[in-house]
Amino acid sequence: MTTMSLMERIALLEQSQKGDMIPASEVWKLLDNVKEMFGEKPGTGHGHSSELYRELGELAKFINGAKKELQEVKASNIADEHLPNAANHLDAIVQMTEQATGRIMDECDQITNFHNDVKERLLSADPQIDANVLMGVDDAMNQAQTSVTHIYEACNFQDITVQRIQKVVKALQEIERQVLRMVVVFGLVENQSKLDEATKQELTEDAALLQGPQLAGQGLEQDDIDAILSKLL
Amino acid sequence: MSTMVDKNMRILVVDDALTMRRIVINLLRQLGFNNMNEADDGTTAWEKLQLETFDLIISDWNMPKMTGIDLLRKVRTDAKYAQTPFIMVTAEGKRENVIAAVQAGVSNYIVKPFNAATLKEKLVKVIGEF
Repeated sequence: MTTMSLMERIALLEQSQKGDMIPASEVWKLLDNVKEMFGEKPGTGHGHSSELYRELGELAKFINGAKKELQEVKASNIADEHLPNAANHLDAIVQMTEQATGRIMDECDQITNFHNDVKERLLSADPQIDANVLMGVDDAMNQAQTSVTHIYEACNFQDITVQRIQKVVKALQEIERQVLRMVVVFGLVENQSKLDEATKQELTEDAALLQGPQLAGQGLEQDDIDAILSKLL
Repeated sequence: MSTMVDKNMRILVVDDALTMRRIVINLLRQLGFNNMNEADDGTTAWEKLQLETFDLIISDWNMPKMTGIDLLRKVRTDAKYAQTPFIMVTAEGKRENVIAAVQAGVSNYIVKPFNAATLKEKLVKVIGEF
Protein backbone atom coordinates (compact mmCIF):
# COMPACT_ATOMS: atom_id res chain seq x y z
CA MET A 1 0.00 0.00 0.00
CA THR A 2 1.33 3.47 -0.92
CA THR A 3 2.28 5.73 1.99
CA MET A 4 1.81 9.44 1.36
CA SER A 5 1.94 12.35 3.72
CA LEU A 6 -1.19 14.34 4.51
CA MET A 7 0.18 17.27 2.50
CA GLU A 8 0.82 15.07 -0.51
CA ARG A 9 -2.68 13.64 -0.40
CA ILE A 10 -4.21 17.09 -0.08
CA ALA A 11 -2.18 18.24 -3.07
CA LEU A 12 -3.38 15.24 -5.06
CA LEU A 13 -6.98 15.94 -4.08
CA GLU A 14 -6.70 19.61 -5.06
CA GLN A 15 -5.20 18.72 -8.40
CA SER A 16 -7.97 16.25 -9.18
CA GLN A 17 -10.74 18.60 -8.04
CA LYS A 18 -9.56 21.48 -10.25
CA GLY A 19 -11.57 24.29 -8.67
CA ASP A 20 -14.46 22.14 -7.56
CA MET A 21 -13.85 23.21 -3.94
CA ILE A 22 -14.43 26.71 -2.57
CA PRO A 23 -12.25 27.53 0.44
CA ALA A 24 -14.04 29.08 3.44
CA SER A 25 -11.91 32.22 3.02
CA GLU A 26 -13.48 32.68 -0.44
CA VAL A 27 -16.95 32.45 1.07
CA TRP A 28 -16.02 35.22 3.49
CA LYS A 29 -14.81 37.35 0.56
CA LEU A 30 -18.10 36.69 -1.18
CA LEU A 31 -19.95 37.89 1.88
CA ASP A 32 -17.89 41.09 1.89
CA ASN A 33 -18.68 41.64 -1.78
CA VAL A 34 -22.39 41.21 -1.17
CA LYS A 35 -22.16 43.61 1.70
CA GLU A 36 -20.48 46.18 -0.54
CA MET A 37 -23.00 45.53 -3.29
CA PHE A 38 -25.88 46.49 -1.04
CA GLY A 39 -23.93 49.24 0.67
CA GLU A 40 -25.34 48.15 3.97
CA LYS A 41 -24.08 47.23 7.36
CA PRO A 42 -25.38 44.09 9.09
CA GLY A 43 -28.88 44.53 10.45
CA THR A 44 -29.55 47.85 8.67
CA GLY A 45 -31.08 46.60 5.42
CA HIS A 46 -34.75 46.27 4.43
CA GLY A 47 -36.81 43.99 2.18
CA HIS A 48 -35.02 41.48 -0.09
CA SER A 49 -31.50 42.71 0.68
CA SER A 50 -32.16 42.36 4.39
CA GLU A 51 -33.48 38.82 3.91
CA LEU A 52 -30.53 37.88 1.72
CA TYR A 53 -28.10 39.27 4.22
CA ARG A 54 -29.80 37.34 7.02
CA GLU A 55 -29.52 34.11 5.02
CA LEU A 56 -25.88 34.78 4.26
CA GLY A 57 -25.35 35.38 7.95
CA GLU A 58 -26.89 31.99 8.68
CA LEU A 59 -24.61 30.43 6.08
CA ALA A 60 -21.60 32.09 7.70
CA LYS A 61 -22.67 30.72 11.11
CA PHE A 62 -23.06 27.25 9.64
CA ILE A 63 -19.61 27.38 8.08
CA ASN A 64 -18.06 28.58 11.31
CA GLY A 65 -19.83 25.83 13.28
CA ALA A 66 -18.76 23.14 10.84
CA LYS A 67 -15.19 24.41 10.94
CA LYS A 68 -15.17 24.25 14.75
CA GLU A 69 -16.60 20.72 14.71
CA LEU A 70 -13.98 19.61 12.22
CA GLN A 71 -11.26 21.08 14.40
CA GLU A 72 -12.69 19.33 17.45
CA VAL A 73 -12.77 15.90 15.80
CA LYS A 74 -9.33 16.58 14.31
CA ALA A 75 -10.37 15.80 10.77
CA SER A 76 -6.81 16.00 9.52
CA ASN A 77 -5.86 13.27 12.03
CA ILE A 78 -8.66 11.07 10.73
CA ALA A 79 -7.37 11.48 7.20
CA ASP A 80 -3.72 11.31 8.16
CA GLU A 81 -3.72 8.56 10.79
CA HIS A 82 -6.93 6.67 11.47
CA LEU A 83 -8.03 5.85 7.94
CA PRO A 84 -4.54 4.93 6.66
CA ASN A 85 -4.07 2.81 9.81
CA ALA A 86 -7.31 0.99 9.09
CA ALA A 87 -6.11 0.34 5.55
CA ASN A 88 -2.79 -0.96 6.91
CA HIS A 89 -4.62 -3.36 9.24
CA LEU A 90 -6.62 -4.67 6.30
CA ASP A 91 -3.37 -5.08 4.41
CA ALA A 92 -2.03 -7.13 7.31
CA ILE A 93 -5.14 -9.34 7.18
CA VAL A 94 -4.47 -9.98 3.50
CA GLN A 95 -0.90 -11.04 4.26
CA MET A 96 -1.93 -13.22 7.19
CA THR A 97 -4.60 -15.06 5.19
CA GLU A 98 -2.09 -15.59 2.39
CA GLN A 99 0.47 -17.06 4.78
CA ALA A 100 -2.10 -19.21 6.57
CA THR A 101 -3.53 -20.50 3.29
CA GLY A 102 -0.02 -21.28 2.11
CA ARG A 103 0.60 -23.35 5.23
CA ILE A 104 -2.68 -25.23 4.80
CA MET A 105 -1.76 -26.08 1.22
CA ASP A 106 1.77 -27.08 2.25
CA GLU A 107 0.26 -29.54 4.73
CA CYS A 108 -2.10 -30.85 2.03
CA ASP A 109 0.91 -31.50 -0.20
CA GLN A 110 2.57 -33.34 2.67
CA ILE A 111 -0.50 -35.53 3.15
CA THR A 112 -0.52 -36.34 -0.58
CA ASN A 113 3.17 -37.28 -0.47
CA PHE A 114 2.49 -39.41 2.59
CA HIS A 115 -0.37 -41.23 0.81
CA ASN A 116 1.78 -41.94 -2.21
CA ASP A 117 4.58 -43.21 -0.02
CA VAL A 118 2.27 -45.53 1.95
CA LYS A 119 0.77 -46.88 -1.29
CA GLU A 120 4.21 -47.73 -2.64
CA ARG A 121 5.25 -49.45 0.58
CA LEU A 122 2.05 -51.52 0.70
CA LEU A 123 2.40 -52.59 -2.93
CA SER A 124 6.03 -53.61 -2.52
CA ALA A 125 5.59 -55.30 0.87
CA ASP A 126 7.26 -58.67 1.27
CA PRO A 127 5.47 -60.98 1.85
CA GLN A 128 2.71 -59.53 -0.35
CA ILE A 129 -0.37 -58.16 1.35
CA ASP A 130 -3.74 -59.74 0.57
CA ALA A 131 -5.26 -58.14 -2.55
CA ASN A 132 -8.61 -57.49 -0.84
CA VAL A 133 -6.89 -55.72 2.03
CA LEU A 134 -4.89 -53.64 -0.45
CA MET A 135 -8.06 -52.64 -2.30
CA GLY A 136 -9.70 -51.60 0.96
CA VAL A 137 -6.70 -49.48 1.92
CA ASP A 138 -6.57 -47.97 -1.57
CA ASP A 139 -10.26 -46.97 -1.36
CA ALA A 140 -9.68 -45.32 2.01
CA MET A 141 -6.61 -43.49 0.67
CA ASN A 142 -8.56 -42.24 -2.34
CA GLN A 143 -11.30 -40.91 -0.09
CA ALA A 144 -8.71 -39.13 2.01
CA GLN A 145 -7.20 -37.66 -1.16
CA THR A 146 -10.64 -36.42 -2.20
CA SER A 147 -10.82 -34.61 1.14
CA VAL A 148 -7.43 -33.06 0.44
CA THR A 149 -8.78 -31.82 -2.89
CA HIS A 150 -11.79 -30.34 -1.08
CA ILE A 151 -9.43 -28.50 1.29
CA TYR A 152 -7.65 -27.07 -1.76
CA GLU A 153 -10.97 -26.01 -3.25
CA ALA A 154 -11.94 -24.35 0.03
CA CYS A 155 -8.72 -22.30 -0.11
CA ASN A 156 -10.47 -20.28 -2.84
CA PHE A 157 -11.71 -18.22 0.11
CA GLN A 158 -8.35 -16.47 0.38
CA ASP A 159 -8.45 -14.93 -3.07
CA ILE A 160 -12.09 -13.90 -2.67
CA THR A 161 -11.32 -12.42 0.77
CA VAL A 162 -8.45 -10.38 -0.62
CA GLN A 163 -10.61 -8.96 -3.38
CA ARG A 164 -13.38 -8.05 -0.92
CA ILE A 165 -10.86 -6.37 1.38
CA GLN A 166 -9.53 -4.40 -1.59
CA LYS A 167 -13.06 -3.13 -2.13
CA VAL A 168 -13.24 -2.00 1.52
CA VAL A 169 -9.85 -0.29 1.18
CA LYS A 170 -11.19 1.53 -1.86
CA ALA A 171 -14.19 2.71 0.19
CA LEU A 172 -11.84 3.88 2.97
CA GLN A 173 -9.79 5.80 0.43
CA GLU A 174 -12.93 7.54 -0.79
CA ILE A 175 -13.91 8.49 2.79
CA GLU A 176 -10.37 9.74 3.37
CA ARG A 177 -10.65 11.80 0.21
CA GLN A 178 -13.89 13.40 1.36
CA VAL A 179 -12.46 14.18 4.81
CA LEU A 180 -9.42 15.75 3.17
CA ARG A 181 -11.79 17.76 0.99
CA MET A 182 -13.38 19.24 4.10
CA VAL A 183 -9.97 19.88 5.63
CA VAL A 184 -8.98 21.84 2.55
CA VAL A 185 -12.31 23.68 2.18
CA PHE A 186 -12.23 24.86 5.77
CA GLY A 187 -8.58 25.78 5.58
CA LEU A 188 -7.52 23.50 8.43
CA VAL A 189 -4.14 22.76 6.85
CA GLU A 190 -1.70 24.99 5.03
CA ASN A 191 1.61 24.62 3.17
CA GLN A 192 0.38 22.00 0.76
CA SER A 193 2.96 20.32 -1.43
CA LYS A 194 2.60 18.61 -4.80
CA LEU A 195 2.88 14.95 -5.69
CA ASP A 196 5.33 13.67 -8.24
CA GLU A 197 4.11 11.93 -11.40
CA ALA A 198 5.42 8.51 -10.34
CA THR A 199 3.29 8.49 -7.17
CA LYS A 200 0.21 9.54 -9.11
CA GLN A 201 0.85 6.77 -11.64
CA GLU A 202 1.22 4.26 -8.81
CA LEU A 203 -2.09 5.37 -7.31
CA THR A 204 -3.82 5.02 -10.66
CA GLU A 205 -2.47 1.48 -11.06
CA ASP A 206 -3.55 0.57 -7.52
CA ALA A 207 -7.05 1.79 -8.27
CA ALA A 208 -7.21 -0.35 -11.41
CA LEU A 209 -6.67 -3.46 -9.30
CA LEU A 210 -9.55 -2.76 -6.98
CA GLN A 211 -12.24 -4.51 -8.95
CA GLY A 212 -13.42 -7.21 -6.59
CA PRO A 213 -15.85 -10.09 -6.56
CA GLN A 214 -19.55 -9.47 -6.53
CA LEU A 215 -21.61 -10.15 -3.42
CA ALA A 216 -24.09 -13.04 -3.35
CA GLY A 217 -27.02 -12.14 -5.54
CA GLN A 218 -24.99 -9.60 -7.51
CA GLY A 219 -23.40 -10.35 -10.87
CA LEU A 220 -23.70 -13.63 -12.72
CA GLU A 221 -23.33 -17.14 -11.33
CA GLN A 222 -21.54 -19.92 -13.23
CA ASP A 223 -24.86 -21.25 -14.60
CA ASP A 224 -25.80 -17.80 -15.97
CA ILE A 225 -22.40 -17.50 -17.61
CA ASP A 226 -22.70 -20.98 -19.10
CA ALA A 227 -26.08 -19.98 -20.57
CA ILE A 228 -24.50 -16.89 -22.19
CA LEU A 229 -21.54 -18.92 -23.44
CA SER A 230 -23.84 -21.57 -24.94
CA LYS A 231 -25.35 -18.85 -27.14
CA LEU A 232 -22.09 -17.15 -28.03
CA LEU A 233 -19.54 -19.93 -28.41
CA MET B 1 -17.00 -37.70 -29.11
CA SER B 2 -13.90 -39.15 -27.57
CA THR B 3 -10.59 -37.35 -27.97
CA MET B 4 -7.24 -38.58 -26.75
CA VAL B 5 -6.01 -35.87 -24.44
CA ASP B 6 -2.31 -35.78 -23.77
CA LYS B 7 -1.92 -35.43 -19.99
CA ASN B 8 1.58 -34.11 -20.69
CA MET B 9 0.18 -31.11 -22.53
CA ARG B 10 1.86 -27.87 -21.50
CA ILE B 11 -0.48 -25.71 -19.40
CA LEU B 12 0.24 -22.10 -18.40
CA VAL B 13 -1.57 -20.94 -15.24
CA VAL B 14 -1.68 -17.13 -14.92
CA ASP B 15 -2.79 -15.41 -11.72
CA ASP B 16 -1.30 -12.67 -9.55
CA ALA B 17 -2.44 -14.53 -6.42
CA LEU B 18 -0.07 -17.31 -5.42
CA THR B 19 -2.93 -19.10 -3.62
CA MET B 20 -4.99 -19.30 -6.79
CA ARG B 21 -2.07 -20.53 -8.87
CA ARG B 22 -1.46 -23.30 -6.33
CA ILE B 23 -5.14 -24.25 -6.25
CA VAL B 24 -5.45 -24.45 -10.04
CA ILE B 25 -2.18 -26.36 -10.43
CA ASN B 26 -3.12 -28.79 -7.65
CA LEU B 27 -6.55 -29.42 -9.13
CA LEU B 28 -4.97 -29.99 -12.54
CA ARG B 29 -2.56 -32.46 -10.93
CA GLN B 30 -5.51 -34.25 -9.31
CA LEU B 31 -7.06 -34.50 -12.77
CA GLY B 32 -3.91 -36.20 -14.03
CA PHE B 33 -2.07 -33.34 -15.71
CA ASN B 34 1.58 -32.97 -14.84
CA ASN B 35 3.15 -30.35 -17.07
CA MET B 36 2.14 -27.01 -15.62
CA ASN B 37 3.94 -23.69 -15.60
CA GLU B 38 2.87 -20.45 -13.96
CA ALA B 39 3.04 -16.67 -14.33
CA ASP B 40 1.98 -13.95 -11.89
CA ASP B 41 0.71 -11.43 -14.44
CA GLY B 42 -0.09 -11.04 -18.12
CA THR B 43 3.27 -9.55 -19.03
CA THR B 44 5.24 -12.43 -17.53
CA ALA B 45 2.82 -14.87 -19.15
CA TRP B 46 3.34 -13.27 -22.53
CA GLU B 47 7.12 -13.53 -22.14
CA LYS B 48 6.80 -17.23 -21.28
CA LEU B 49 4.47 -17.80 -24.21
CA GLN B 50 7.10 -16.34 -26.52
CA LEU B 51 9.94 -18.40 -25.07
CA GLU B 52 8.08 -21.72 -24.91
CA THR B 53 5.02 -23.28 -26.50
CA PHE B 54 1.92 -24.01 -24.42
CA ASP B 55 -1.13 -26.09 -25.33
CA LEU B 56 -3.57 -24.52 -22.85
CA ILE B 57 -3.78 -21.20 -20.99
CA ILE B 58 -5.79 -20.71 -17.80
CA SER B 59 -5.77 -17.07 -16.77
CA ASP B 60 -7.19 -14.77 -14.11
CA TRP B 61 -8.86 -11.55 -15.32
CA ASN B 62 -7.76 -8.93 -12.76
CA MET B 63 -4.00 -8.69 -12.68
CA PRO B 64 -1.42 -5.89 -12.54
CA LYS B 65 0.63 -4.83 -15.59
CA MET B 66 -1.42 -6.82 -18.11
CA THR B 67 -4.93 -8.09 -17.35
CA GLY B 68 -6.29 -11.44 -18.46
CA ILE B 69 -8.43 -9.92 -21.20
CA ASP B 70 -5.44 -7.97 -22.55
CA LEU B 71 -3.37 -11.16 -22.49
CA LEU B 72 -6.14 -12.99 -24.35
CA ARG B 73 -6.30 -10.29 -27.05
CA LYS B 74 -2.51 -10.37 -27.41
CA VAL B 75 -2.45 -14.16 -27.57
CA ARG B 76 -5.05 -14.20 -30.33
CA THR B 77 -2.94 -11.87 -32.48
CA ASP B 78 -0.12 -14.44 -32.45
CA ALA B 79 -0.59 -17.08 -35.15
CA LYS B 80 1.04 -19.67 -32.88
CA TYR B 81 -1.71 -19.24 -30.29
CA ALA B 82 -4.66 -18.26 -32.47
CA GLN B 83 -6.42 -21.57 -31.74
CA THR B 84 -4.91 -22.43 -28.35
CA PRO B 85 -7.58 -23.10 -25.69
CA PHE B 86 -7.81 -20.16 -23.29
CA ILE B 87 -9.91 -20.41 -20.12
CA MET B 88 -10.64 -17.20 -18.22
CA VAL B 89 -11.03 -17.45 -14.43
CA THR B 90 -12.49 -14.49 -12.59
CA ALA B 91 -14.29 -13.45 -9.43
CA GLU B 92 -16.47 -11.06 -11.40
CA GLY B 93 -19.39 -12.57 -13.26
CA LYS B 94 -20.41 -9.52 -15.23
CA ARG B 95 -22.34 -10.07 -18.44
CA GLU B 96 -20.32 -7.41 -20.30
CA ASN B 97 -17.08 -9.12 -19.22
CA VAL B 98 -18.26 -12.48 -20.51
CA ILE B 99 -19.26 -10.93 -23.82
CA ALA B 100 -15.95 -9.03 -24.08
CA ALA B 101 -14.05 -12.26 -23.39
CA VAL B 102 -16.01 -14.15 -26.04
CA GLN B 103 -15.40 -11.35 -28.54
CA ALA B 104 -11.69 -11.54 -27.72
CA GLY B 105 -11.69 -15.27 -28.43
CA VAL B 106 -11.98 -16.95 -25.03
CA SER B 107 -12.60 -20.71 -25.06
CA ASN B 108 -14.45 -20.84 -21.76
CA TYR B 109 -15.07 -18.92 -18.57
CA ILE B 110 -14.96 -19.95 -14.89
CA VAL B 111 -16.26 -17.90 -11.97
CA LYS B 112 -14.41 -18.06 -8.64
CA PRO B 113 -14.80 -19.81 -6.29
CA PHE B 114 -14.84 -23.03 -8.28
CA ASN B 115 -14.16 -26.71 -7.62
CA ALA B 116 -12.41 -29.56 -9.38
CA ALA B 117 -15.66 -30.70 -11.01
CA THR B 118 -16.22 -27.30 -12.65
CA LEU B 119 -12.61 -27.14 -13.80
CA LYS B 120 -12.86 -30.63 -15.29
CA GLU B 121 -16.15 -29.81 -17.02
CA LYS B 122 -14.59 -26.75 -18.65
CA LEU B 123 -11.43 -28.62 -19.62
CA VAL B 124 -13.50 -31.34 -21.28
CA LYS B 125 -15.33 -28.65 -23.26
CA VAL B 126 -12.14 -27.05 -24.57
CA ILE B 127 -9.73 -29.98 -24.98
CA GLY B 128 -12.05 -33.00 -25.06
CA GLU B 129 -12.78 -35.99 -22.81
CA PHE B 130 -10.02 -37.37 -20.63
